[in-house]
Parts: sequence; structure tokens; C-alpha cells
Amino acid sequence: MGALANEIDPREFDSPGYQKDPFPLYKRLRDHHPLFRDRFHNRWLISRYDDVNAAFQDNESFDRALYKVDGPYEFGSSHVFGPNILEYGNSDRHRWLRNIIAGQFVGQGLVSFIPFIEKIAGELLEDCMGDGEVELVSRFSNQFPIRVISNILGLPRADEERFVGWYQALIAGLGFGGEHLARGIAARNEMWKYLEPIIEERLRNPGEDLLSKIAVAELDGQRMSMDEVKGFIALLLAAGGDTTDKAIANMWYHMLYTRPDQFEDVKKDPSLWENVFAEMMRYDAVVHVQSRYTTREVVMHNRVIPERSLVILLLGSGNRDERVFANPDTFDIHRTDMHMGRENRSARYKDKLPGHLGFGVGQHFCMGYAMARQEAVIACTRMMEVMKNPRPKFATHEGISSPNIDSGGFRSPQELWIEFDG
Amino acid sequence: MRVTIDLDKCIMAGECVYNHPWLYEFNDENQASVKVALLTTDDQKLAARQSREVCPSGAIQLHDN
Repeated sequence: MGALANEIDPREFDSPGYQKDPFPLYKRLRDHHPLFRDRFHNRWLISRYDDVNAAFQDNESFDRALYKVDGPYEFGSSHVFGPNILEYGNSDRHRWLRNIIAGQFVGQGLVSFIPFIEKIAGELLEDCMGDGEVELVSRFSNQFPIRVISNILGLPRADEERFVGWYQALIAGLGFGGEHLARGIAARNEMWKYLEPIIEERLRNPGEDLLSKIAVAELDGQRMSMDEVKGFIALLLAAGGDTTDKAIANMWYHMLYTRPDQFEDVKKDPSLWENVFAEMMRYDAVVHVQSRYTTREVVMHNRVIPERSLVILLLGSGNRDERVFANPDTFDIHRTDMHMGRENRSARYKDKLPGHLGFGVGQHFCMGYAMARQEAVIACTRMMEVMKNPRPKFATHEGISSPNIDSGGFRSPQELWIEFDG
Repeated sequence: MRVTIDLDKCIMAGECVYNHPWLYEFNDENQASVKVALLTTDDQKLAARQSREVCPSGAIQLHDN
């Protein structure tokens, strides 16, 4: 026993138990192997809050993309999305692409979308609230963010249903692989074929919509290629939809099953949905993992990670770090040891409290963070207005899970039935 | 063109620093500050306008003289 009891067999990362409940293994990593060399999967894992936070902010040592000696990059999403911003690592091109649309998602531009978000939430709710019960995932959360994003892009509303279908196929392909992946790629190709004439039209007659802005943006006199524009759109549909979709389901899951006592507080004061969002992002965020490649030797915990190594930043573990958060395994919307308000890319806050790591930090901080919070809080607040006395339809729930958590599988309940009074 | 930051409004989001690192940095008190006193080229001015757009708290001010 003793030291040996704390050894970790890397095959545990592939076990169904870990996919379902990774937190006990996270704790063993934090306590006994804060820098773990996983020889089986040929990678390194970082699991403490301070280490994950520092790695996110250290662009000199960690890059989002692995640059090969002969030029091209290697990263795991281009087979689905085509060339896209995630491929460009820490480069100037990445920053340029991000700047084209950052103002829309982060800054003052976001305010102009709020009436729109409200409208789409209202439409969907009207459609699914008639029966005194609703399956939230399929009837609402799965449809809401994707409809918002396709409207922001200025895509025709008549084609929205098709986008929902393409989006769902793309996401299933990323999450499950196999024949799902084949269907995902078929959906992408169909979507691209559909988009091409629309993009050409926007290039000729650019409007105020986001698709026009992406199509005509220039860096040193150069526009994005057609493939890059399509890749960007595919990524926005997927990234802008899937994560927020699952965040909404997770927020409701935790209110209905994890903390029904605190749900009473939220019913009295719906502005607390903001806190539910923050605590959900800490306790069990939709995304638990980000990967980086070392651009030079990195010394950490008295060991050396060689250059060009794959390093997994376990933000899902950092968020449960007892070195930072009291009672980290308790879901608590009234937490006083975390910044509960809007997230900052800098991880710096005027209240001097630590923030959750659910969106990452720094250069590759989630682009849609402000949009996601806005959409999720608006959706949940509207739902509370139309559903009286919402409660779980079933006394027990199989809980939140993920198809493959440490290769980026998103965590959410598969189904969530809510019962309410007319 | 000159850029100033209203530190009462600034929420330390860091959008300006990460999106336009040649123009902004965090100072020792973790507050955003402007690195370039006078912007002269069109590219610089475009970037300054982008940075004002991306600031979530509306703390960035541009001055034409």
C-alpha cells in the first residue's frame, strides 16, 4: 500500500467509469501526480487550478497547434470543419481571424442581439410548452443556440430547420466517430454546397450580417479563401450551438436534481440564473479538457516536459481544486470564494476572486463566452416565466455523462424531462 | 489618433490586451494601459476601432487629435 495505492494506470482514462464520473481520478491526479506522464497515450496531464491557469496564459511555452518542421499544422478538427481558426495556434493569423468577429460576440455588438435571442427563445417555448411536460434537450436546448447563430449570420430563416439537422449531424460526428462521423461529414458537405452561392452573393453585396463581415474582411489586402470562410461558418455553427445547448441542459439538471433546495432561491430571484451558470461552469463544465503542445522544454513540479509534447489541461479538475475552492465537490450557487459574474478572458477580476476555468483563459479563451452566458440566462429565465412550478418528471436521473471526456466529448444529460403546471 | 482607457469602467476583461497586444498591456496593478501614444497609420486606427468595439465595458475612448 502507501505510495503504490496512488499509482494511476493510464487505461483508467478509457474506462466507462471515468467517462461517467472523472472526479475521483482528477483528485488522485491533483494530490499525487500534479504533473502526470501518461506513457500509454503519449501525453502529459496537468490537473491543479494554478497549473492549468498558468499554462493557459503561457503562450511562450504552450501552443494550441502543433507545427511540424515542414510547415503544416496538425490538429483534430479540420477533418470535420475544414480549415478553421482553431488550426492557427498562437499565430498572427489566428488573432486576425478572431478580431474580425470578436466585436460581435464580446463587445458592444452583443447588446444588439439580445432582442433577437429573446425572440427565438419565445418562439421555441411557445412551440413546446403546451403539454404540462417537456423533454428539454430535444425540444428546446438542442435547437435554441443554433437558431440564434444562423440568424446572426443572416442565413435565411426558411432554411433554419435544415441547419438544425446539419448541426446535429456534425456534433454527433465529433462526439461519437464511426458512422456518426461519416454522417457528420456528409452533412458538412451538403451544408457547404448550400453555403457557397450565399457566400458569393454576400461578397458581391455585403450587408450588416456576420457572414458578410467574415467574407469581406481583409488582412494585408487578402481575404479569406472560400474554404476558410466555409470552415469558419461550420465551426461557428457547431461551437456556437453545441456548447450553449448543453450548458442550458446542465443548468436545469443541477437545479432539478443536484440542488432542488437552491432552485427555490432561483424561483424567488431569477437573476440567480447568472450564478447557476457560473457554478455549473465550475462544478461540471460542458468541456473539461483543452490540449496544448509545448514549444520548448517546460519545467514543472521538478520534472521536464520535452518540447513538442502533447499536454492535456484538465480544467474540469482545476475547477474542483480544494487548494482554491472550499468544498469543491458541492454545487453552491451562493459561493463567495469564486467570481460569480461575467467571465473575463484575462482571469483577472476587480473583486480579486478566482474565476472558473470552464472557458479556458487567455489567447484561446472561448470566443462565445459572453454570448453563451447571455443565451443561457435568457433561455432559463424565459422558461421560468412560462412554466409554473417546474419539477423533475422522474424522481431519479442517470446523470451527466460524456461520450469521450478526455478527447473533448461534451458533458450533458442525454434527456431531461420537466413537468410543470399549465 | 490617441487612445485612452476609463479605468472606472474597465472590468479587466483583457479583450484589448489579447486582441491587440501591440497597443495594450496590463500594468503592474493588473489594469489595461495603452502602449502607443499616437496612432498614425490606417491599420493602427482600424485596430483601435476594433479594440473599442470588442471592449465589453465600453472603457476605451478614441480621440482624433
